[in-house]
Amino acid sequence: MSSDHIHPEPTTFLRKHVFSVDHKVIAKQFMWFGLIWLLIGGIMAMMIRWQLASPGTPFPVLGPLLFPATGGVVDPASYNMLFTMHGTIMIFLGLTPLLIGSFGNWCIPLMIGARDMIFPLLNCLSFWTLMLGGLVGFYSLFVPLGATEAGWTGYPPLSTTVGTQGTGETYWAVAVFLIGASSIMGGINYMATIIRLRAPGMTWGKLPLTVWGLMFTSVLNVLFIPVIGSAMLLLISDRVFGTSFYEPASIMSGGVGGDPILYQHLFWIFGHPEVYILILPAWGYCCDMLSFFSRKPAFGYRVSVGAMGAVTVLSALVYGHHMFTTGMSAMLGESFMLLTMIISVPGEILFFNWLHTIWRGSIRMTTPMLFSLGLIFVFGLGGLTGIYLATIGTDIFLHDTYFVVGHFHLTMAASALFGVFAGTYFWFPKMFGRMMSERLGKIHFWGTIVTLTIVFCTMFVSGYAGMPRRYYDHTSAAYLQDLQWLNKITTHSALLLGAFQLIFAWNFIKSRWWGKLASENPWEVGTLDWSTPTPVPHYNFKQIPTVVTGPHEFSNPVLGEDRDWISQTEELPAGA
Amino acid sequence: MIRLPHLFPAIARRAAPAWALMALAGSVTAQAAEEPARRMGLNPPASSYGQMFDDLFMMITALISGAFVIVLFMLLVPVIRDRDRKWGDGTGKPSHKASFDHGRSLHDKRFTAVVSIIVFFVLDASVLYVTMKDLREGFWNIPAPDTPDVVKVEVLAQQWAWNFRLPGTDGEFGTADDILTLNDMVVSVNRPVQLNMTAKDVIHSLFLPDMRLKRDVNPGAINEAWFEPITVGTYDILCAELCGFAHYQMHAKVRVLSEADFDAWVQEASILALAAHDESDTEAQWAWDWKE
Repeated sequence: MSSDHIHPEPTTFLRKHVFSVDHKVIAKQFMWFGLIWLLIGGIMAMMIRWQLASPGTPFPVLGPLLFPATGGVVDPASYNMLFTMHGTIMIFLGLTPLLIGSFGNWCIPLMIGARDMIFPLLNCLSFWTLMLGGLVGFYSLFVPLGATEAGWTGYPPLSTTVGTQGTGETYWAVAVFLIGASSIMGGINYMATIIRLRAPGMTWGKLPLTVWGLMFTSVLNVLFIPVIGSAMLLLISDRVFGTSFYEPASIMSGGVGGDPILYQHLFWIFGHPEVYILILPAWGYCCDMLSFFSRKPAFGYRVSVGAMGAVTVLSALVYGHHMFTTGMSAMLGESFMLLTMIISVPGEILFFNWLHTIWRGSIRMTTPMLFSLGLIFVFGLGGLTGIYLATIGTDIFLHDTYFVVGHFHLTMAASALFGVFAGTYFWFPKMFGRMMSERLGKIHFWGTIVTLTIVFCTMFVSGYAGMPRRYYDHTSAAYLQDLQWLNKITTHSALLLGAFQLIFAWNFIKSRWWGKLASENPWEVGTLDWSTPTPVPHYNFKQIPTVVTGPHEFSNPVLGEDRDWISQTEELPAGA
Repeated sequence: MIRLPHLFPAIARRAAPAWALMALAGSVTAQAAEEPARRMGLNPPASSYGQMFDDLFMMITALISGAFVIVLFMLLVPVIRDRDRKWGDGTGKPSHKASFDHGRSLHDKRFTAVVSIIVFFVLDASVLYVTMKDLREGFWNIPAPDTPDVVKVEVLAQQWAWNFRLPGTDGEFGTADDILTLNDMVVSVNRPVQLNMTAKDVIHSLFLPDMRLKRDVNPGAINEAWFEPITVGTYDILCAELCGFAHYQMHAKVRVLSEADFDAWVQEASILALAAHDESDTEAQWAWDWKE
């Protein structure tokens, strides 16, 4: 059924490598795109941390090139630009393309037994729209009157012309809109592909959990990205056409006009699901990989799917916890608090299933497994500290302090990033036909997890002591001066964390061209993607496979003594 | 191409993570030792409801620490005990076989449900109960309109300063004896301070760490907040919502005076305000009708 629509093999360089409609090529395009932006966003983080630890000293090497007017010192306006673009880049141009664009494109057709996405051209358009969004975002840094500096949340009136004159802010909004359009295209494509193109026998209960995670993410993308799109259109209208959707009249002159809080509602209706958009695929990869490398079935498959589904449904109902200090009514605040507490239950169920998956397994300590185990650790830290912020009584104090920064970095940044690393080390052999170095991978893992934990846990300490976020210089206030030592610890660990990522970059580049050749199924797992030859042929599957077995039949006693896995296309031997 | 293995002897290579950790620990210690003034946590609470925050914070800390220890235990036991020690030795044989369990028996589902219910009640519902009780006594318990001795303050935030207005001796806002201060809020100990806040330009957020109070200050709307200082002293006010490039410099002080000192200060400042009042100074005429 699914063999009719496939496109012919391209012959020209342009159709093969640039405007390709092949999901495998697009997956690699997304991967390079995401990694490059991850590097840019990471360097920005280093500059932010440098300024915070030693205010007013020039950033080494890059500083004099980027900020010649100040001799390499990050000035306050550039500092605001840096954390704004750091957030925007990491979320929209780094993690989204990697977690969803790259692994989504790679895994969905290969894991469900399809020859490509259902809409290959839309897939190509999705990548190039993202590219356009990225270029507009990059261009926004070099326009007259300055770049964006209203934070990645872009709250008006600061983000309207009242607060930011520079046209960079307008280009920023256009970039977010374009990137959102790209995500919607991807989301529709993923959903339709998973629904329509599953190989015969690939029932919903036989899908790898990776595909389930991507499915829920796509649902959220399609439902909630339009909300941020509309918020951005209104913002652009306010900035360019002089409307006042978000600009109120002052209270002294009667207080009518637009409503800046409207934007916050629109932003967080999207913004909270966005953190699940980033974490759901990572959860999916983690669920699968823990099973693959423990040589044990994923514990409670259906319960895990249900928990991810529950998170998807609840995700937009909890967004108000970002706005407890805005002046929200007590009843509304309490409702959002209760809903936020409820969403911790499916999260806890996933932990329960992960920990039971590895319990009494036969664990192969590979790099992807280390990152999956690391995800449990960092998401545990991040998830549990969320309780402070879900609780209004503590959030009133902790809101907009470094406590929040530590919390969301551990959940949506570090956990998502661990998903990216686990995925990269895991699928690299199939994508590029070569193994990544395990030794470098392990150095990378240990370096990352130790420094990252120090960075964000120190932020908890400084946030609890009252250090506000988005401050250019914490030594400016007497109240914060005696917290500067915490800033220094954070920065030193952050610089080391950055240095350890260079090991990953080196490993990636080295292995891409000079790595050890990979066998077809180096991890010995049974999902369909590993049943294809390496490199994967243009049509993926010569014959669309028929699926008869679940994805996690590891160590099934019927397989006998010599083998602990079975391909999804093989019938389980009788006799159990 | 230069390869790492050729540069270092085998022992140094194996110990690479340990080297990195030691370098990290060294730099952190050296750096921390340089800085003389250090604070670890918060100053003691200076408002009537401040202790509630401290207690609730500690309660959550105790609960999640327990939960995290359980997660760590469940994570580390299999990592240490169930590791395939023979993996990668070339024989293709595992050191032991994994147990085969899909975790889909009725028993497993019941176990999951029971753990979820326990987690919800111990971790979430208990905190929910305590904070709702606290909020009703504390943060949301804004003094009733006829409460005696309430110190009313109108707060106007702007890029990048805090304007405060006290009604003066007549108790009415928008009159000639209103006391206007810049970045200096003067209040009395043991009297509830009620705030009416708005902003001139962009969103700001009034943050009084020692009072454990934070409330956004929005243009176009009046936000209310209150606190009751319990100790005399001078405390910091910070802006907690990004408001432009000098956001980090938008500080002010709140001076908590004794009741007698405060009354004397209001008397004196009102007379001075009356004398200095200038109807033509439109910048200073920003009062609004008090919102209860």
